[in-house]
This record gives sequence, structure tokens and C-alpha cells, in this order.
Amino acid sequence: MLNTSEIAGSWLCLLAPLGGTILITLLGTRIPRVAAGWIATTSVFVAFGGAIWAFVGVHGNPTDASNVHCVTNAANPVCGGSGEITTAWTWLQSGSFHVGLSLLVDPLSTVMMLIVSGVGGLIVLYSIGYMDGDDEERRYFAYISFFVFSMLLLVEGGNLLLLLAGWGLVGLSSYLLIGFWHERPSAVQAAKKAFVMNAFGDATMALAFFILIAHTHSLAFATSFAAVPHLSGTAVDLVALGLLGGAAAKSAQIPLQTWLPDAMEGPTPVSALIHAATMVTAGVYLIARTHPIFEQARTIELIAAGTGALTLLVAGLIALVQTDIKRVIAYSTMSQIGYMFLGAGVGAYSSGMFHLMTHAFFKALLFMTAGLAIHALAGEQDIRNMRGLGRLMPFTKWCFLAGALALVGIPPFSGFFSKDSIVASTAALGTWYGWIFWVCGIAGAFLTGLYTFRLWFLVFPGEPSPFVREHHHKHHGREGAWTMLVPVGVLAVLATVGGWLQWSPQWHPFSNWLEPAARTLAVAAPTNTQEYYTSVATVLAGLAGIAVAWAIYSERKLAIPAAPFWRRTLEHKFWFDELYDAVFYKPAAVFAAALRREFEEPVVLQTGPDLGRTTLETGGFVRRIQTGLLRTYVLFLAAGAAGVVLAFLIAK
Amino acid sequence: MLGPDVAWYVAVAAVLFGIGALGVLIRRNTLVVLLSLELMLNAGNLALIALSRHWHNGSGQIFALAVMAVAASEVCVGLGLVVALNRRRLSLDVDTLSELRG
Amino acid sequence: MSTLVAASAGNVLVWIVWVVAVFSCLGSGIAVITFSNPFYSALALIGNLGSLAVMYLLLSAEFVAAAQVLVYAGAVVVMFLFVIAYVGPRRETPWSGGPSWQTVGAVGAAGALLVEIVVAVGMQANGSLHSDGKVGAAFGTPAWVGRVFLIDHLLAFEITSVVLLIAAVGGVILGSHTRRTA
Repeated sequence: MLNTSEIAGSWLCLLAPLGGTILITLLGTRIPRVAAGWIATTSVFVAFGGAIWAFVGVHGNPTDASNVHCVTNAANPVCGGSGEITTAWTWLQSGSFHVGLSLLVDPLSTVMMLIVSGVGGLIVLYSIGYMDGDDEERRYFAYISFFVFSMLLLVEGGNLLLLLAGWGLVGLSSYLLIGFWHERPSAVQAAKKAFVMNAFGDATMALAFFILIAHTHSLAFATSFAAVPHLSGTAVDLVALGLLGGAAAKSAQIPLQTWLPDAMEGPTPVSALIHAATMVTAGVYLIARTHPIFEQARTIELIAAGTGALTLLVAGLIALVQTDIKRVIAYSTMSQIGYMFLGAGVGAYSSGMFHLMTHAFFKALLFMTAGLAIHALAGEQDIRNMRGLGRLMPFTKWCFLAGALALVGIPPFSGFFSKDSIVASTAALGTWYGWIFWVCGIAGAFLTGLYTFRLWFLVFPGEPSPFVREHHHKHHGREGAWTMLVPVGVLAVLATVGGWLQWSPQWHPFSNWLEPAARTLAVAAPTNTQEYYTSVATVLAGLAGIAVAWAIYSERKLAIPAAPFWRRTLEHKFWFDELYDAVFYKPAAVFAAALRREFEEPVVLQTGPDLGRTTLETGGFVRRIQTGLLRTYVLFLAAGAAGVVLAFLIAK
Repeated sequence: MLGPDVAWYVAVAAVLFGIGALGVLIRRNTLVVLLSLELMLNAGNLALIALSRHWHNGSGQIFALAVMAVAASEVCVGLGLVVALNRRRLSLDVDTLSELRG
Repeated sequence: MSTLVAASAGNVLVWIVWVVAVFSCLGSGIAVITFSNPFYSALALIGNLGSLAVMYLLLSAEFVAAAQVLVYAGAVVVMFLFVIAYVGPRRETPWSGGPSWQTVGAVGAAGALLVEIVVAVGMQANGSLHSDGKVGAAFGTPAWVGRVFLIDHLLAFEITSVVLLIAAVGGVILGSHTRRTA
């Protein structure tokens, strides 16, 4: 069934940001800088309008929304997604394998479209104020709307190849944005690191797709998912593992997490957009989107959950000792994505997606309030210098508090509703690893409370420190340009009320909405009792974390335990960077040096001149054939023809 | 078919082609080289027409007509070159036109 | 019996015509490449073309024979003669000049090509180059050629015309007076 509003809305949503990029690029310096910002903002909000349009289309079309393309085979029904596939043209074709340039509009992709374009639009609007006065604003806005386009391509792509194309493009645009201030060597390094780490994930995903093509001859969601149950267990495991590699790299999960904190070198709105709200959550989306594959490879899916559990703990621990305000939030992002992986991994896809949404609200909010603080302090990011900022920036302070409470999951803020049902799902598993995940989730909640309110108590309350007094400056008498304050305010409201959309024990429209696309597995559906005691436990753990943070950083009643080894371990981020340096970089460097010494210098560098001399000599010899006499040339021609005919005769 | 087999016609064409090739290879006067080229082309035409007769297939004759057109084009350009050379007081001896010597 | 006699009489006649045509053709061909004066060479080419036209007639290619006489003898050779007259007498000794290995090689290559073609034809002649007699009465007539040319080979026809046009333009440009040394 053709549904105009879904099709038109989705294409409008996808192409508007691309149009913005092209427009900004083509107009170049003929438009004032601020106009570039407004073009980008408008294009992303147009995309948001398209997303709403598509959403209304899917919503108003219940037959379509419930039109689940299930391929039922007795044991386990495999649902290849529902909704509308719109194909512009066949993109590439090779024999019976063909891939269309097609978009998929279903409940899952519309949710992502709304989040990406909605939160993205607010962040781009915020950028207008934040980037004001930068030398290369036009480039920035062209990049950022290109990023939104890539991300929309990723979530709207109607087949895995298009998804991979979007996946690669977000990698590229995040590279460009992280390295936006390319005169800073550290930014360039961070961009390269992010790109290489992500390329690793892209490669594992591509390998998974090759296996999928080899076995199912298709990359379209419906057909390949339908064929997955007929695959051998090993093949499905490999495919799922490849997808997990891609998801972990993009979402900065262990062991591919080291790029995210460094990526904070980019402008703060970029951190909010890419490294909080959208791109890093792509891994969760991928798992939810390809859940039929993961369900056939349950072990791998549980590994994904375990990865999430491990990451949420490790990132939470590292966040305790960071001193850069953005890095604290970055580690918190990793930790929260760990929750999402945990949820999606155990099979509670809608809980994972719900946390993705609320996280997009409150984490973008936190980054943007941090950006306000950084902006007001002329670029200072070290929280040790920031004490007492709340006195000077009350709006920022209260918005940050809303985000922080949402992050810790204190009711009625949004994080409470989304995080708790993830942890409850682990309890629903009822197995030993389920309980390990549960404990990790509760411990993570404690850590979240601790590091978030460490940040809060260090930065906002109390008397302004001398540094703050000296450096703080107001923007036209306000805490920032209105383009920065409005998005922060909107997101603060969303972070507060956004979770009310769903409270799993009582009402769950979000899960119902997603059910056709990604139904929660039965084993991961918690009972109300599990929901309640889990909620109590997480909230208590969060409050305990806040209390400890209050005792240590505000009242100074508790001393930080002096455990130098542990402290150093955390400050070195569990030595992941050092480990990768030793395992990958050092051997490669030694190998390269050896190659240079043993091969390049004696062989290549010697061969060059030899080659040149030989060529010259040969040329000098062959030159004599070029008599310049036409007849000689014709003679060679005739002799050649005679030779060819002779060859034919002999062959005959 | 009256008269000799097609094979004989083709043999004549071969000999004529050899004569023409020899002329192109040996003669130095541009005009004679062009004339010899005509001989070669006509040898090809003879073979085409003989084989067309043999296979009862009209394509050979059509091809021969196309060859004639190409030959006419070639003469047109070749003679144009000769005229141009002459106008610049250059020799018509192909051996003196050797600026391409390596 | 009488038809057989008539056929064999016709056959003898055709053989005689053929032999004359072949000798005239090869003789005039040799003349073309041996005369030291290009004017005579061009005249010899007319004889060559005429005898070829006779052979085309024997091969039931009436239209091509007519075209051969009209286009070649009538137009191409006349153009040659004009140019030769325009350029004026330039003599050369045909069998000298250039590096000697050039001549030796030329004779070798041309001879090799000749031998190879003859061998190829000979290999083929035993088997399939016996002709099987009659073709349709229309074969080779202008109407038939026109139909084949303009229906079956229309694209070739058009491409040929384009080639001719380009050559004509090229000839005009090469021969034009306004063009100066580049």
C-alpha cells in the first residue's frame, strides 16, 4: 500500500539537510556567516517536519504499522520489519543480487528520525550562538548538516548496504567535525583516532554483510532476515559478531571505546550532537534493527549485553577522576550507552530505544549547559577551576541540575523511566548472567550518581572561585545568546518530562509503538514486581551516589580514599590506550622501521636509480628504430601483419 | 559457375595485394605510394566480391562499396597533403619527411 | 547435349576473358609500381581498375563493377592526374635510396604475406572454395544492392557518408590557401 505522507516525509527528512550542505557549500562567501547557520538550522528543522510528517503517516495507518512482514516458520517467527519501503532506483546490481536506493519508514526508523532531526535541530540552533565569531562558521555548518543527513541515511536506509553507507558517512562527518579546529594538533589526532577506530567497526560490518550476501543473496532487511534461520549457526554467529563489532566501534563500547573521550576536542555542540544524542547511539539502533539476526545468535547478543554491562561500569569508574568537564560527560555517555547495549542485548529493544531517546534529551542538555559554562569562561574546561559558577549562571545551573537528575534516574526525571526498565529486563532473564547484569546496572546507577554530582558540586554551588570571577563574562547581559538558551531550555523541559511517555509497569505506548519493528523478547519482559523492586534499588543506589558525592565534594566530610594504584589506573583509563599502543602501534612502528632499514633503503632506494638508468639505456637503444622514415614504419607494419597471419596459419 | 573457381580470384587478389604492398614499401614518391595503396585496397575488394559470390551473401559487395568510399576519402586527404607539401616547397620524397626520427 | 556444348563453349569464353583480365590486372599493377613517372603509374592504374571491373562482372557484381569504373577510373584517378599535373614532373629512380635493408625487408615482408595468403587460400580451396554454380538473377544488380545497402546496412551507409564528408572537409582545409604554417 502506498502511503504518500510516509514516502514524502521520509525523503524530505533525508534530503533537506543534504540540500542545506550543498547550499552552504555553493554559496560560499557570498552569504554572511550567520546566514550559513540559519540555512543549516532551517534545513534540519525542515527535516524534523518531514519526520513528523512520516510519523503521522505511520501512525495514521494502523494497517501499515501492524503490517509485519513476518516469515513464519514453525519454531521461531522472524519479523523482517514492517512499514513502508520506498525505492528511488536500483542502486547497484550484480546478477541476482541488487540493492535499491530505498528508504524504510517503520516505527523504529520514525522514532530515530524524530530524535535525530529534532534534537539535531536544537543543537544546530545552539551552534549559531556557540560558533559565533569562529573563523570558519560556514564550513562548520556545512559539515554539521551533512552529518545530520548521514545520520538520517543511516536510520532510514531501507537495506543493510544503505545503512552501511550512512554508517560510513557519519564516520566521515564526525571525523571532519572532531577535527574542525584543524590548527590544533590534538584535534587532528583525535579525529584520526575516531576515524580509525570506526573504520575497524565498518570493516567488521562489511565482512558480516559479505557473509550475509554469500548465504542469503540479499541485503534487504526483509529478505535477508527471512533467510537467516536457514543459515548455519556459525554463519549467523559470524554475521552477528561482525555487526556487534560495528556497533561497539560506533557506540564506543569496550574494547573500541578509546576514541570517544578524545573526540571531545571538537566544538561542544558537536559533542552534544554526535557524541551524545545521535551517532554513538547508532550501535543500539543497529542491534534493534537487525534483531532477527541477533536473536538467531543469542550468544553474541548476550555478549553485546555483557559488553554493555562492562562498559557502563568501566566508564562510570573512569568518569570519577576526570577533570575536564566534557570528558566527564563523555564517559557518562559511554556508560549510558552501556545501559542501552545491555537493554538491547538482553532483548528489551524498546527499553534500549527508549533510553536512547531520553538520553538524547538529557545528555545533549548536559553537553550544552557545559558548553554555556565553557563559553562564559572563555574556553576553560577544567572543573577544578570552576567552583561557584551557579551564582553567576542560574539558568545554566538549573538546566544542568535537570539533566543531572535525569541522568542519575531520580523520578520524575526522564532517566528514571528508561533506565530502570532496562535493569528490570535483566532481572527478568532470571539466569545467573541476568543477575550479574542486574548488579552491574545497580552499581552503575550508584556510579552515575557519584560522578554526576561530583561534577555538580565541583562546578555550580558555593562562592565563585577567583578564577571564575576573573574570567566570567556575560553575553549581552545574559548567560549566552538566545539561540543557545532556547535549545537548552527546550531540552531541559524534555529531559524532565520526556520520560513520562512510558512507565513500563503502568503504561507503555512507546513499546507498543515499536512492537511491530522490534518486539521485546519474552524472556526479557519483566513482571511488575521486578520493575518495582528494580526501580527502588536503582533510585536508592543513585541517591546513595549523590549522597557520597555530597559528602566528599561539598561537605568534605569524607576523604577520597587514598589508593594510588587505583587512582592511577582510573586516570589512565584502565590503560587501554597504553595497551593498544603496546600491542598495535609499537610492533607496527618497529616493523616499519625494520622495513625501512632492511628493505626500502637497500632495495627500493637502490632500485630507483638503477631502473632509471636501465630505462634510459633501453630507450637510447630502441630510439634507433625510430628512423623517421615512413617506409620503415610501414615495413614493420607489414612484417607484423605477416607474423600475425603466420600465427593464425599455425594455429589452424 | 562459369570460369575458374573463387579460389583463383582470391589468389589473384593475393598477388595484387603483394604487388601493392611492395610498391608502398619501396617507392619513395608520395604519389606512387598512394597509387600503390589503391592497388592494395582493390585487391581487398576483389577478395571481398569473390567471397561474396561464393557465399551468395550481399554483405561482401556492400563492404566493397564502403571500401571504395574509404579509398576515395583517403585519396582526398592524401592528395590534399601532397598539394599542401607542394605549396610549401617541400619534397614529395617520403624519406625526406622524417621529422619524427627518434 | 546441345546445352552442355553451349555451356562448355560459354565456359571457354569465360576462361579466356578471365585469363586476359588477370594478366592485364597483374601487369598493370606491376606497371604502377615500376614506372618512374607517376603520370604513367596513374595511367596504368586505370588499366588495373578496368580489368578488375571485368572480373567483378564475371563474379555477378554488376553494380560494383559500374561503380568501380565510375568512381575509381572516372573520379579518383582523374584527381590523381590533376594533382600530378599540378605538382609537375618529379622523377625518382624507383628501386634505390633509403637503407638497403629496407628494400630487402620490403621484398621479404611482401613475399611472406603473399605466400601466407596463398597457403591460406590453398588450405581452404580444397574444401569449401568450390563454387556451386548459380546465384539468383537479381544478385549484384543495382536494385538489389540498393535494397541491401539501405535496409540491411543502413548504419554502415550513413557512417560511410560521414567519413566521406569528414574527408572532404579535411581535403579542403589541407588544400586551402589561407592556412599558414602553424
